[in-house]
Amino acid sequence: ENDLLLTDPLKHPDFFHISELFSLKDLFDARVHFGHKRGCRNRLMEPYLFGCRLDQDIIDLDQSILHLQQALNFTAHCAYRKGIILFVSRMRQFAHLIEQTAKECGEYAHTRYWQGGLLTNSHVQYGTGVRLPDLIIFLSTLNNIFEQHVAVRDAAKMNIPTVGIVDSNCNPSLITYPIPGNDDSPSAINLYCKLFKMTILRAKDKRRQMDLLYGIQKKLTK
Amino acid sequence: MATVWSGLGPAVTQAAVRGGRLIPRDVRTRFSSSDAEKRSGFAVAFERHADLQRQREAEIPDLGGRKVTAQKIDSFASLLRRSPLMQMGPTKDKIVIGKIFHIVGDDLYIDFGGKFHCVCRRPAVDGEKYQREVRVRLKLVDLELTSRFLGAKTDTTLLEAEAALLGLLDVKDTNQRD
Repeated sequence: ENDLLLTDPLKHPDFFHISELFSLKDLFDARVHFGHKRGCRNRLMEPYLFGCRLDQDIIDLDQSILHLQQALNFTAHCAYRKGIILFVSRMRQFAHLIEQTAKECGEYAHTRYWQGGLLTNSHVQYGTGVRLPDLIIFLSTLNNIFEQHVAVRDAAKMNIPTVGIVDSNCNPSLITYPIPGNDDSPSAINLYCKLFKMTILRAKDKRRQMDLLYGIQKKLTK
Repeated sequence: MATVWSGLGPAVTQAAVRGGRLIPRDVRTRFSSSDAEKRSGFAVAFERHADLQRQREAEIPDLGGRKVTAQKIDSFASLLRRSPLMQMGPTKDKIVIGKIFHIVGDDLYIDFGGKFHCVCRRPAVDGEKYQREVRVRLKLVDLELTSRFLGAKTDTTLLEAEAALLGLLDVKDTNQRD
């Protein structure tokens, strides 16, 4: 039955009803489609852009919705299977909000300076037998000097899947589930935090329900 | 529209409208039930084109990527096109309304609905009235301050917009909200 508990959600395309959580209008009102100026654009983000208006890039929300649904579905499944989720961001104006979100989900956040060997040298830095995160969520993939955050590369090295909000100046290659979208406006970050929190809590509730259900079934069959 | 054609069967109306020709006047007056008046020029043309448009809409449910269902779902392209940012055009010298969301001493952080906020100095006139949640008028200069320096691959961005503070928002001006 443990198998059924874990494999049953994988048979549904949207087991946790993620598509009900948000709509195109919500993303639009939260200014998710705003990108940086054309000069800041990363070449690899061009497929995700709708176009460029008076030098400002506009991100294609139709694609963003699909990516967001996939990413939220993946985080829900991770949370369902009791994985450890780490929120990472180096944006100082949203550090407190992200830490609050992580606390309310019951997961973890790292919004301070990232030391070099946190993932790759964890046995030395933290001691032996450390459990690394099973999913890393980037609310901004850049650090304070507009270079890619070290954790993106390190997560790829340690085979940890990543979900990340990529703005028009970010490199989406190493991220497993990139979400093209604005990462600079407070309304957009508020929306992402709210969505991640809702999916994780929903997945955890569902897991508790299914545990109870299979527990009762086992008792009845015995 | 229906009153003129009400007495006639559907086949006749289709034929009459598709042919693009008017039904002869004697047939029309014979079959119209309520109005025996003669309809001249514009009225007849209006009814004919209204019928044509209704037929076209019935054949093609969604025109130009805009689905009109019970929930009125708009496509991203149409939402974008009608958004204030697009309608505004070039940013230089546009007047917008912003709201102060943070204050650090003399610096006011004002959000006007763009990607970034702008930072303005507290003016000498009415300085104490500028507090959080106060709406102000701004004249925009740029939505994002970026510049390409020598030897750099990409632009350096300041993550800020630039605007000049014009003054507090008068209650009378709120009719012109975007």
